[in-house]
Amino acid sequence: MLLFIIRRLFFAIVLLIAVSVFTYFLFALLPTDPAALSCGIHCKPETIAANRIRLGYDKSIFEQYWLFLKGIFVGRDYGIGTAAFTCPAPSLGYSFNQHACVTSLIGETFPVTAYLSIGAFILWMMIGIGVGAIAALNKGKWQDRLATAFASVGVSLPTFYFGLLALFSIVIWFQILPFPSYESPLDNFPAFITAMILPWLVLAIISAASYTRLTRNGMLEAMNEDFVRLGVAKGLRLRVILRRYVMRQALIPIVTIAGLDFAGLLGGAIITESVFSLPGMGRMSIRAVVDSDLPVLVGTTMIAAVFIVLANVIVDIAYGFLDPRVRVS
Amino acid sequence: MKKKSIFGAIGLSIAASVLVASCGSSNSGGGPAGAPKKGGTVHILTLGEQIAHLDPQRNYTGTDMAFAVSTMHRTLTSYKYAGGDEGSEITADLATDTGTVTNEGKTWAFTLAGGGTFEDGSPITCADVAYGVSRTFATDIITDGPSYAMSYIDVADYPGPYKATADQQAAFDKAVNCVDQTVTFNLKVPVADFNYTTTLTAFSPVPKALDTGENYDMKPVSSGPYKIESYEIGKSLVLVRNDKWDQASDPLRHAYADSIVYEFGLDASVIDERMIKDAGDDQFAVSEGIQPENLQTIFEDDAFKNRRVDYLDPFVTYTNVNVKSVPCLDVRKAVYLALDRDALRKAGGGPYTGDYADGFIKPALAADYAKSKMLEGLNEDGTPNVEAAKAAMEAAKTSCPEVAQHAADGLVYPYPDTPVWAKAIAIWIESQAKAGITIKGEAVEASKYWPTVMAPDAVYDLARGGWAPDWLNASTVIPELFATSGGFNLTHNDADPDYAEFQTAVDAAKVNLDRAAQGKQWQELNQFVVDRLWALPGTFVKAQSIWGSKVGNAYQWGPYGSFNFGELSINS
Repeated sequence: MLLFIIRRLFFAIVLLIAVSVFTYFLFALLPTDPAALSCGIHCKPETIAANRIRLGYDKSIFEQYWLFLKGIFVGRDYGIGTAAFTCPAPSLGYSFNQHACVTSLIGETFPVTAYLSIGAFILWMMIGIGVGAIAALNKGKWQDRLATAFASVGVSLPTFYFGLLALFSIVIWFQILPFPSYESPLDNFPAFITAMILPWLVLAIISAASYTRLTRNGMLEAMNEDFVRLGVAKGLRLRVILRRYVMRQALIPIVTIAGLDFAGLLGGAIITESVFSLPGMGRMSIRAVVDSDLPVLVGTTMIAAVFIVLANVIVDIAYGFLDPRVRVS
Repeated sequence: MKKKSIFGAIGLSIAASVLVASCGSSNSGGGPAGAPKKGGTVHILTLGEQIAHLDPQRNYTGTDMAFAVSTMHRTLTSYKYAGGDEGSEITADLATDTGTVTNEGKTWAFTLAGGGTFEDGSPITCADVAYGVSRTFATDIITDGPSYAMSYIDVADYPGPYKATADQQAAFDKAVNCVDQTVTFNLKVPVADFNYTTTLTAFSPVPKALDTGENYDMKPVSSGPYKIESYEIGKSLVLVRNDKWDQASDPLRHAYADSIVYEFGLDASVIDERMIKDAGDDQFAVSEGIQPENLQTIFEDDAFKNRRVDYLDPFVTYTNVNVKSVPCLDVRKAVYLALDRDALRKAGGGPYTGDYADGFIKPALAADYAKSKMLEGLNEDGTPNVEAAKAAMEAAKTSCPEVAQHAADGLVYPYPDTPVWAKAIAIWIESQAKAGITIKGEAVEASKYWPTVMAPDAVYDLARGGWAPDWLNASTVIPELFATSGGFNLTHNDADPDYAEFQTAVDAAKVNLDRAAQGKQWQELNQFVVDRLWALPGTFVKAQSIWGSKVGNAYQWGPYGSFNFGELSINS
């Protein structure tokens, strides 16, 4: 297992380097000129040239990439003369739009995204698996039909629409909750919960829908397996059969998808963060795209890639625990 | 002055519009009656992720300037803190008066009134003002700000304070000289309205010891009534009272609210809905702009009459004509007469986008504005006058057949590659075709539009334009847009035989220290350009705002086309 983990981590590093190279060179191909973006109507050639030097885009893309890599290990200096400053290692660069080192920006925005993702993940797993299990155990009854309807509606609701609808109705029209204004749980826990409850619910309800379907189908499939029928024939209690055989079988595909979904969220729940004005990494990365803010773009892309890769490793390991056949093979 | 979302703004308002009376009155706003009270928290709701720049030397957007000047950055001179025409009058801020000019406009001196302090309690000195100005020269760090100090101040090869040699610094110190509390600016050329230039925060003081260069943007040192408590891009900026600020030392600011909270990154539809609902803390909020789909709701319902405003902002839109490639007045007339400004207005968003411009100087520049006599035959309702356009083209075939043929073959019109502009250019093509004029639209990637058309070798016959004066004097309009030395002249009008006459008149106006007489000169020069159609006037852009029912003193500050944020009050 150790060798397996080492091998996966090695490939993860290679993948991250590939992602950063790809992002850098893709950026170079964009028609947008970041040096011209901020000056607009005042874009005289000399202004653009000065901006290009300041942003570091006067160098070749290869040199820019080398400085980026070097910065990760030794930090990076910016500014001139008495106005010089350093982004310490591991430096992912400096955002001239946000006036901060990218590592610091990620450090500030990632917790928001993480809290959003973790809370929503717990809720959607509970709702999705719970409703799916109820549907499977009551196949063909009203509970099943209700769960199927929930899944159909949830899957077809776009996040931005459902989010705005929830925000308008619960916050603005009926004023059940105040407008979400993010606070760190370490600073003000009640305010944190108040701000996050609606984004959590919106994200959870939308994501839970597909897990309801998966759980229902997985359980119904597992309940027809020979080993389940054997358990029934042996006179095992229903709870034991469900826990030991049915759920374990049904959870295998769910774990795979949940791991990747969760990792994707950690890379930035872009729409939810935007609708609820949460200062997370997703919103920051969208802004970086709009502003052609390459350092932030590369930084957030790499962090998202890290989570996707890590999730894959964790899913692989979890497989072993859930399915003894995987462990044996 | 820079304007946020300039492409969108110009795109929306490229269509000239007639002010529809039912849209609501054009006024400077107001708020609940009664004297403003101290206390409370004002909220500002915005879809922006941050203030473009809080560093005074980089602050250069209308709304941002109104915010920074009224809350954090005092300047040598300022505009009166009032709505309407009074708000356009210049007055002293840090200085004792609006400056003393000598040497035929080449030397300006301002004496600090004293008593002003930074947020750390240290007194604001002449050296702090000079240091602040010196920062604008460091264009490799202090970006995006106005460049007037560099254009005007008589110093060569000064790279800013961060990397200046002792000799370079000495040269600057000679050009911007401090004796006791009097700062003297020695200029390269006479500048009659330099005391208007000093209303820009580029002339605000910065304490050298606390300057952090690039990072000063996030935590500038306040010289005004508020200071930063917290600033998180994408979340909020919280200003609280600067307890070192002494109102007795400040002739302008009242600082009614205890704190001001800028809320960033909100969805535009959410902002409007919150403002319409007017509940909870949103009763103490103002927002920037209103979505087009909500304008009717807000301006046709009397429930909002005390908390809405529809006003002319400082922006003018127009179309530059390349006089070098279209050296024929008849053709330029034909283009203007054939243009369907009404269709452009509708495509741009309807009647709230702006009034038809009758020139390039807006009425807000009261001393410099006079209604221009427009081209004969131009329909006041914005619809094209196809017959008159055809007649002009016929006349052109006699007066300048080559140019007429060029117009028939195709006038090149580069435009930013955006959906709004794609619509606008389609209207241009269709309306000009009816008069026998062909438009060859050339899409340019949006961020490269200005560098493309402003390149010396750019090839075009028509080019869009939009401008707002940097201060309330047409010296920042007419010379900037139409003199060869101007920073934004896209007309190549020096090819016109009348240009020499125009330049002489501009030079005379720029150095005229008699403000009233100078205003008259700008009015005449505006008419001079309108008569020759070096550019085709578009719209005097309008904007709309709404504020919460418990916000007081919510007037629009003319010079910036924005709320005077620092003067907003809470009336509970």
